[in-house]
Amino acid sequence: MIVFASALTFFFVNLAPGGPGSVMRFDVDAQQREALIKRMGLDRPVEQRYAEWVGGAVRGDLGTSLLTDEPVSQRVGERLPNTLTLAGAALVLSIALGIPIGLIQALRRGSPLDHILSLLSAIGLSVPVFWLGIVLILLFAVSLRVLPSAGVTAIATDTPFDRLRHLVLPAVVLASTVLPTVVRFMRSAAIEVLHEDYIRTAAAKGLAPRVVLLRHVLRNALIPVVSAIGALVPRLLGGTVVTEAVFSWPGLGRLALEAAQGRDYPLITGLTVVVAAIAVTTSLLVDLAYTRIDPRIRIA
Amino acid sequence: MSLGLHSFLFRATSLMFVATIAVTACTSTTPPGASTAPSAAAGPVSGGTVTIPIGADPTLNPWSPNAFVESLFINRAIFEGLTKPGKDLAPAPDLAESWTTASDGLSWTFKLRSGVKWSDGKPFSADDVAFTFNDIVLKPDLGAQNRASYAAVKSVTVVDPTTVRFDLTRKFAALPSFLAYNAGILPKHVLSADPLKTTSFNKGIPVSTGPFKVEKYTSGQSVSLVPNEHYFGPKPYLDKVVFTVVADPNTQIAQALSGDLQIMILDNKAAVERVKAASGLVVVSRPLVQYYWLSLNQTDNRFTDVRVRQAFVHAIDRQAIIKSVELGYGSIANSPITPALAAYYDPSLASKYPYDPAKATELLKAAGWTPGANGVLQKDGKPFQFTMDVGQRGVLEPVNALIQQDLKKVGVIVDLNTMEWNSYIQKDVVRREYTATVNWWTYPSDPDVFPYYHSSAAGKGFNIPGYQDPKLDDLLVQGQSASDLESRKAVYKQLQQYTSEVLPYLFLWYPQEIDVLSSSLKGVPELGLRDAMHYLGEWWLAKK
Repeated sequence: MIVFASALTFFFVNLAPGGPGSVMRFDVDAQQREALIKRMGLDRPVEQRYAEWVGGAVRGDLGTSLLTDEPVSQRVGERLPNTLTLAGAALVLSIALGIPIGLIQALRRGSPLDHILSLLSAIGLSVPVFWLGIVLILLFAVSLRVLPSAGVTAIATDTPFDRLRHLVLPAVVLASTVLPTVVRFMRSAAIEVLHEDYIRTAAAKGLAPRVVLLRHVLRNALIPVVSAIGALVPRLLGGTVVTEAVFSWPGLGRLALEAAQGRDYPLITGLTVVVAAIAVTTSLLVDLAYTRIDPRIRIA
Repeated sequence: MSLGLHSFLFRATSLMFVATIAVTACTSTTPPGASTAPSAAAGPVSGGTVTIPIGADPTLNPWSPNAFVESLFINRAIFEGLTKPGKDLAPAPDLAESWTTASDGLSWTFKLRSGVKWSDGKPFSADDVAFTFNDIVLKPDLGAQNRASYAAVKSVTVVDPTTVRFDLTRKFAALPSFLAYNAGILPKHVLSADPLKTTSFNKGIPVSTGPFKVEKYTSGQSVSLVPNEHYFGPKPYLDKVVFTVVADPNTQIAQALSGDLQIMILDNKAAVERVKAASGLVVVSRPLVQYYWLSLNQTDNRFTDVRVRQAFVHAIDRQAIIKSVELGYGSIANSPITPALAAYYDPSLASKYPYDPAKATELLKAAGWTPGANGVLQKDGKPFQFTMDVGQRGVLEPVNALIQQDLKKVGVIVDLNTMEWNSYIQKDVVRREYTATVNWWTYPSDPDVFPYYHSSAAGKGFNIPGYQDPKLDDLLVQGQSASDLESRKAVYKQLQQYTSEVLPYLFLWYPQEIDVLSSSLKGVPELGLRDAMHYLGEWWLAKK
């Protein structure tokens, strides 16, 4: 899976028009261009370069960035924790808000509240991330001045609390890309479960409402939601590209944008491999979570 | 039962909302402008931090081919050249105290400042200058940035520890000006093995000679500068200068509005009114050595007729373009010499091509283009129609759309082909596979525009239209050969007249830069912000 992704990326980015940022400059003449291409080894055939890259990659060497001459693994390593923090916070936020909201909507299906929340979900899905980001910056950083507008931390005061303040807006904006989906899945799953006979039986037995809700409704409704969340992780990682650009968040998304614009072939390939690895890992985790929620799968 | 379920869930969710609000509420701080110290001092005072946004991680080496526009700010602040742009943009002393050219014009000798030290305390000498040029710039296989500017330089010789001589293959009167333009001298004792790829230098803590030195480089976030205690000149006023990496121009504006930035270039001019209305910010315009042009590929024989080129300039409403995309911050261009080069600029040319579609039609008719059915111009049964490639950067997209409309009014059909920047450069600049395109040149503060106009640069160098003209070549060489200011002025006046007549490129406009400054930031010279970086040691913050 990961090998396939790397090969595909390597050949496709090399096929794309353009070239490394240093070569595709307006103020570089033909002679200089030739010298640079030679220095970067880009005058050799793509297959040969890929073979070399694979040779290095199996030993953990993802090559050298064409834009900075730093090892790709170092550049990715520097940014990975920031993206994981941001995506993780957005995911936690989406789950923590999405599940209760979906459940409320299911319980009050057809009520004005249900309609209002559905409308908000629809708006949340359709609002562009960069627009929402700028609006929140203008509101919370410029007008109210309660939250910082960009970066992971203030230069002068790097404390965990300061980092948390910087995380709030980007996490909210990134969460807006997946929260409505979580809500929708939760709502329809819960509606289905609420109609099951065993819920009526449980309530009829005289179980406390919160027990019915937590042990029976929630648990059964979560099964499809968990698989949906697994599918949302790649979308979340994709969403980091715009969110990180708006909030100057030094993560993989911004790095990917720079790498693509500057045609930094080794960096693009390295990033793809890392992101593919994250996607594979999450789907593994989702499978494991299944077994916790759904006893029927545990035996296998 | 259902009621109970609802109320439980309600409490749970609203708790979560409250928690979210609580996190945001309890983190509120006082606005940054609200410090309390009274009394406005008249003269410069020491202290304070200035924060400046840059679009991406910089490469701290002026000769690295990866030092893109975002790198200019810091590189100009920390590295020093032999000269720097004076406040009038003429070359001023920096690491060199004085310079003279030989009587045959084939060499320049620079007398260096003595007692200069690098930021690591090691002495600076003529060896560093020779190293920078002989071992980096003039080495063809390194592909150093701007090396094309030094095509006339044969080698650099150390005469004595404080004197260097540049030996030339031809006369090069503009050398002192070119040495002021991204030509910082690098330390020989630090960079030896691979001078353009030493990442501990380029992406870490470089050794430099300027008033400030790098304190810390945090990838993706910021680069901070502090005063260089070994600097030969007066101690700078500011305690610290922080360059924050803010990729999105709208976020930069938001940061300026919230007081997080003290100075920035307003790339999105549409925001100028909003910024002007903000308290604590000052908006200024600055001259640039830059002009926008429309290049018509001279391999296309429709464009080799000068009347067609002149007609296009009459047909394009350039004042409307300046008003619409630059919000008035610019002036009409009719030659490559910009008003910022005040000693050379010829203002009499400004009104040479008024917006005049009727005149354009007349000129096109004289060139054999007459209206066919549906109003489109034709010649030999072929309609006047071509494609303009549009690079996605800055104001290029709206400008192309306006030009398309203007040309349509005189019966010329333009199709726009919008492309991602990197692919655009490959197609239009590297391969020259284009018919027409709009772009701009920024060049050293000197009227020597040889690289962009000489016929030797057609097709492969910076002569984008591929225009070749012996008379223009002659003027360009004369300009390089004339060494005193008065004779240079005379040559470049002729060159402006001539280029405005024959239009190698169709000149569009000279843009101005809009800078946004905190009202407490003082001592910034009236130059484009990137040039003002050479004077960072003179900046100071008024106490509120």
